[in-house]
Amino acid sequence: MGRKPGAAITPEEESDVEEPCEGVRTSSPPGGGDALAFEEAYLRFAPLLRKIAVRKFHIPRADAETLVHDIFATYLMHASSVRNLEPYLIGAICNASRHYLRRRDAADALFCDETPCMATPDDELLREVDRKLLLSRALAGIGERCRDLLHRYYLRGETTQAIADDIRSTPGSVLVFLHQCRKRARAALDQSSGGR
Amino acid sequence: MAHIGKEELAVYAADPDAIDAARCVEIEREIAACAECRTTFEFLAVADDELSDPDVWEPLTGSQTLDSMRAHGARIAAEDEEAAALVQPLLDAPVLAAWWPFRSKRYLTGGVVRKLLAHAATLHEREPREALIFADAAITVAHALPDDAYVAKAVYELRGSAWKERANALRFLGRYDEGLESLQRAERAYQKLTFPAFGLASVAYLRAGILLEQQRYGEATEAAVIAERAFCSLSDAERQMGALHLRAYIAFELRQFETAIQLFRRVSEYGEERNDALWIARAAQALGNCYLDAQNAAEASMQFHTALTLFRELGQRTEIIRTEWGVARLIMHGGNLDEAIRRLRAVVAGLISTGMVTDAALAGLDLTEILLSREQMRQIVALTKHLFTVFIKAGMLTGALTAIAYLKEAAESGRLTNADVAAVRSFLRRAERQPALLFVPPPATP
Repeated sequence: MGRKPGAAITPEEESDVEEPCEGVRTSSPPGGGDALAFEEAYLRFAPLLRKIAVRKFHIPRADAETLVHDIFATYLMHASSVRNLEPYLIGAICNASRHYLRRRDAADALFCDETPCMATPDDELLREVDRKLLLSRALAGIGERCRDLLHRYYLRGETTQAIADDIRSTPGSVLVFLHQCRKRARAALDQSSGGR
Repeated sequence: MAHIGKEELAVYAADPDAIDAARCVEIEREIAACAECRTTFEFLAVADDELSDPDVWEPLTGSQTLDSMRAHGARIAAEDEEAAALVQPLLDAPVLAAWWPFRSKRYLTGGVVRKLLAHAATLHEREPREALIFADAAITVAHALPDDAYVAKAVYELRGSAWKERANALRFLGRYDEGLESLQRAERAYQKLTFPAFGLASVAYLRAGILLEQQRYGEATEAAVIAERAFCSLSDAERQMGALHLRAYIAFELRQFETAIQLFRRVSEYGEERNDALWIARAAQALGNCYLDAQNAAEASMQFHTALTLFRELGQRTEIIRTEWGVARLIMHGGNLDEAIRRLRAVVAGLISTGMVTDAALAGLDLTEILLSREQMRQIVALTKHLFTVFIKAGMLTGALTAIAYLKEAAESGRLTNADVAAVRSFLRRAERQPALLFVPPPATP
């Protein structure tokens, strides 16, 4: 046989092959040094990674947040060597979750050995993440007052009474406002979905 | 009963306590009985669930993580931009790279480390000494940065990558023990990360390559298996196949043809699944060599034919010549020596023209074997003289040159044996990566 096949692996080795991986959608990584593309990649994939860590590895949400943060921070240091971002990130959260569990003596292997890896997101999870990304975009277009109301009620967990007191209204009216804002969000979501 | 109004259903979905208990019972009964009401309620309930998900709100209202990532991303982008200008003058002057970065604190950034490593990566095969200088400069800069220079201890990614690049350069310089030491340093750095898997996978792959060069086949196989598993866990199928191909090659070197064939077949299947002609061709070429050495000429012929067809389609000239080399050996084993000689001469010329002088010499040894069996010493002398000149022109003034000279002299004196040819072949295969290796002629047979 001719030369040995031990090609060098370096942090800068880039591939000219976009290779799809079964069950995993492909996506090109943002080039090194492109801060906007990096932020886009973060916003697109961070929710999926958090959900995998929380649902598949039962890691508390706050710790999953840290794992996702560290994965993206590390990724950016060697972005040019990543050939296909989504499978890389899914592999990363799988490995980081196992690393986390190992530190807590809950797992003994650094690398995932399952085939397919338990971190591989199923269709339902992927659909959910996609839907929520769309919902985010829809919320961006429903007006500030509605967005603020929904944010206060759903995310910050403020009661209708507290919101009503703040906006000099009644809890019943707040519920009606909430319903109207949800309807707006729904309409915007339908528009986004239709426009895809 | 009439459908429940959407407004009331929305209030119920959002806050059942806001509705009196008796009405709640009625609503629940209606939801159970009426498909339309149930669908509306489920939509509202799902919407509630989705709107409570912090991920939905992160792009709109931000988060600590997003802020941190924005700052990190902006910093890396700025560093890379600045480093491009800073490092450019050093790229053509490796000697400067050894000390220049320490003239100013401006050089102490991750961007400079990345630029130095990117440049080293382009050099390690062609100019490993220069690659080593750049890798060492990157190591110095990476270690001069504080441990907490970046979020998530990401400075250790830089340090790990710098040590790994040093190992790569050392591998091409044939300084294998130092290369393995560097890999240990890389490993230690990567292990400080939350997510060390990618770095550790690359370390395992490189380690397998170095151990293979050292002919430590058992350890090389273990490292290749680790790399394969690790890349698999990262869904990096291309690199996984690289590691599998390496493992197969180690089995081939060990003359474990059955194992090698089984593993190369997996590489071939991967190529077929993805319709990737390059992987299919690589695997076919390797399988051809395996079958040839395992005395299965028919299968070897088929595999070489596949490889040749695909490499021609891909326009991979070097691989076409290597495959033709396999075909020539196949013909040689089949006994058609005149045809084998003709083809091997073409292979030697082709390999020389592509600058692969060690491979040319190895193919020349196949040719020498045939000529020796026909006692055509003058032709061997002419061939070895030619190879000697080629080595000198290529600047390969190493033990390999001595080995070729030994072959020429042995042929000239008429005492050349098959054992001599085997000894030179074994030496040349090791000397390519170990230029400092000295050629020791085999003991003379009585």
